[in-house]
Amino acid sequence: MLPVLLQQVRRDRIILPIWVLGTAALLAVSAASVVNEYGDAEGRSQILTVALATPALLSLRGIPNGDSLGSAVHFQSYAFLAVTIGLMNVFLATRHGRADEEKGRRELLLATPVSRLTPAVATLVLAVVANAVFAVLAALGYLAAGLPADGAVLSATALAVTGLAFFGVGMLAGELTATTRAASGIGVVLVLVAYALRAAGDALGTPDVAKLTLEPAWPSWLSPIGWGQQTFAFTDDIWWPVAAIGALAVVLVGVALVVHSRRELGASLLAERRGRAAARPTLRGAFGLAWRLHWPTLLAWTLGSALLGLGLGSLITAVSQLDFADNPQLAAILQSLGHTDQSDAAAALIPALMVIVGSMAAAAGVQAVLRAREEEAAGRAEILLASPVSRIGWLLAFTALGVVTVAVVLLATGLASAAGFAASGSDEFVWQSLGQCLVQAPAALAFVAVTALVVGLLPRAAIGLGWGLFGAGVVIGYFGQVLQLPDWLLKASPITHVPEVPVDDWVPTLVVTAIAVVLAALGMAAFRRRDLTT
Amino acid sequence: MNTVIEAQSLTKRFGRTLALDGLDLTVSEGEVHGFLGPNGAGKSTTIRVLLGLLRGNGGSATVLGRDPWKDAVAIHRDIAYVPGDVTLWPNLSGGETIDYLTRLRGGADKALRARLIDAFQLDPRKKGRGYSKGNRQKVALVAAFARPAKLYIFDEPTSGLDPVMESVFRAEVERVQKEGATVLLSSHILSEVEQLCDRITIVRSGRAVETGSLDELRHLTRTSFRVATGASLAEVAALPGVHDAREETGHLVFDVDGAELEHVLTSLTREGVTAITATPPSLEELFLRHYGDRIEATGSDAA
Repeated sequence: MLPVLLQQVRRDRIILPIWVLGTAALLAVSAASVVNEYGDAEGRSQILTVALATPALLSLRGIPNGDSLGSAVHFQSYAFLAVTIGLMNVFLATRHGRADEEKGRRELLLATPVSRLTPAVATLVLAVVANAVFAVLAALGYLAAGLPADGAVLSATALAVTGLAFFGVGMLAGELTATTRAASGIGVVLVLVAYALRAAGDALGTPDVAKLTLEPAWPSWLSPIGWGQQTFAFTDDIWWPVAAIGALAVVLVGVALVVHSRRELGASLLAERRGRAAARPTLRGAFGLAWRLHWPTLLAWTLGSALLGLGLGSLITAVSQLDFADNPQLAAILQSLGHTDQSDAAAALIPALMVIVGSMAAAAGVQAVLRAREEEAAGRAEILLASPVSRIGWLLAFTALGVVTVAVVLLATGLASAAGFAASGSDEFVWQSLGQCLVQAPAALAFVAVTALVVGLLPRAAIGLGWGLFGAGVVIGYFGQVLQLPDWLLKASPITHVPEVPVDDWVPTLVVTAIAVVLAALGMAAFRRRDLTT
Repeated sequence: MNTVIEAQSLTKRFGRTLALDGLDLTVSEGEVHGFLGPNGAGKSTTIRVLLGLLRGNGGSATVLGRDPWKDAVAIHRDIAYVPGDVTLWPNLSGGETIDYLTRLRGGADKALRARLIDAFQLDPRKKGRGYSKGNRQKVALVAAFARPAKLYIFDEPTSGLDPVMESVFRAEVERVQKEGATVLLSSHILSEVEQLCDRITIVRSGRAVETGSLDELRHLTRTSFRVATGASLAEVAALPGVHDAREETGHLVFDVDGAELEHVLTSLTREGVTAITATPPSLEELFLRHYGDRIEATGSDAA
């Protein structure tokens, strides 16, 4: 047992500390930022009043309970911290569970005098230790932000026990499916479903504006994250939800262990889905394959960003109904976010928030183009390029995939945000939001083109460089002015050239588009001239 | 006869390593050409240069009369290729992969595809990630054979196949050769090359060290004899061209250089021969001579 556990610890010596420390740091930072941003009781009450009137905000955050600091922290950060810790535990379970079995490492281990259950129990011990360490760090993080100790211990414990429940989900998923990919996929989806159920329940809940509380609707009660919110840490400090989550964790882990002790090595409760005996007629040409490989990813991006767009509509509508005459400070913040002198803060928010949508579309596009490099590195480009597929045609297919991805994500988000505004009765913003979403395209396409260039020119560095340049562009675009970066550096990021609708001057947009076309073409030319590199 | 592949003093460098060092290779139309060498000899690199996947640093190459780098796409219309290490798309089934790869060349012959899947005992509905190495190779082989090509290039095609599947592969190679196709087959599996190939090029450290038909290459090597004779061990060992002579259970056992065979046999018959077994050199021995010469150079070979 101990050697098996130590070996698992050794394998996780980098990845697990990153998750634990990273999540604890996220918790400390978000608690501290609530202290800064929400200000005094009056400010908190103002913001929470807006939140209670805005289903989009409630679904993204959680349940407030009065105007105390602890209420704001619990409202702001509990749900997404639960998601983070849930993901950490799902991956922990599948990494040492199904992945070991799939790669054949478990076979090697079980051929030694190690019992069938030992590796699984060792991983369980590892998970308990990791979550306990997280709980200690989390409690310290809350205390550092000046929150009461009782609530700090409760919230940290609730998060850690939620983590163990999702560890059980990951274990059970590994018993169900034959591949790590499927097991992790099921685990991640269940974490997101748990978040989405409480998001729906909270958004549909009954607010009490006077007391600043919310009675969530029934979907929240189906989710362990929803139960954790019912602890009302820092305010009412209720412990029974922790016991409920703990019971869920015990049941999930117990069932997984029983199944595991009876299951043959490599077997799974669900048979792997069989593929088609013959390809669909659409699977042809370089683009046909690129599309076949990438469409599920594209669909996920589209749905995610469309949900965001829908939320933006109702969020901005709620903000526009605030009375800014009372709060010139808030108005100033919103205007500076929008880089505009428009006095209407809501109208100013649209460009600021749509830049984020543009970056999401760019990230999805960059990922699509980088698939080319993944194909090449895995050796799958070789068999294709030994067929009558030209070098240029092959890289063009993945670049086109990036372009399509950007277009689909922007269009879906634009339409969703327009629908969100229409549904909230803010008809005056429908066209502005759609237009502002679409004018993000040239900047996003510039990132796609730069990625095609690095894939063509510097294959081995392409993945790091592609994401690195994207990150640099985003940082310069978002924070360049605040950081007082030199003008030429600001202009180097395509994001700074995104116009605001109605657009008076189309020249910068056209220039960015032209540069993107040239960079992509250079990428193809470079790829035509180099060796295939694995 | 037309030349299908012609490479002259091909060189290819990866950083400081010289992968191809003036390699020559000629493959004529309609032949099955064996490309033999140990791992790291430059076989796969040569094939990738011939497919235009890598660009040679020096020398010249033509495939089907064209430059493989400049006219890659045009050439590839007539080529079916199976790489040495087949990687498949993890979420595409074998059947989808076969259809996709053959469509790139114009589409599979349906009856042929069905027959090949059956002959190679392949489950076409399994996902790419679920196939073993041998089955991945079978997917690529079915894709290669399911549409006629002028030139088939196989890089160590049977390294993951069992003997039964190897014989299926051999039958398919014989079929396409009868249909007039040319085959280049790299291998370090000698039995496969002996049974299939008309001509062979042996490559070592990025150079072709021998090329010719199996018979021509056999002239270059030794024949093993086991003889019951009146001649003494010392007499036989002293004959020119005789190596490794020794006595085993009343027989003399020795190897003879191809060029000295006639002379040695004449000497033996003069002394009287009551029993004789002669074993032709296997390709293993050809290999040992070419790759074992490092051992000879260090003086550990008694001969």
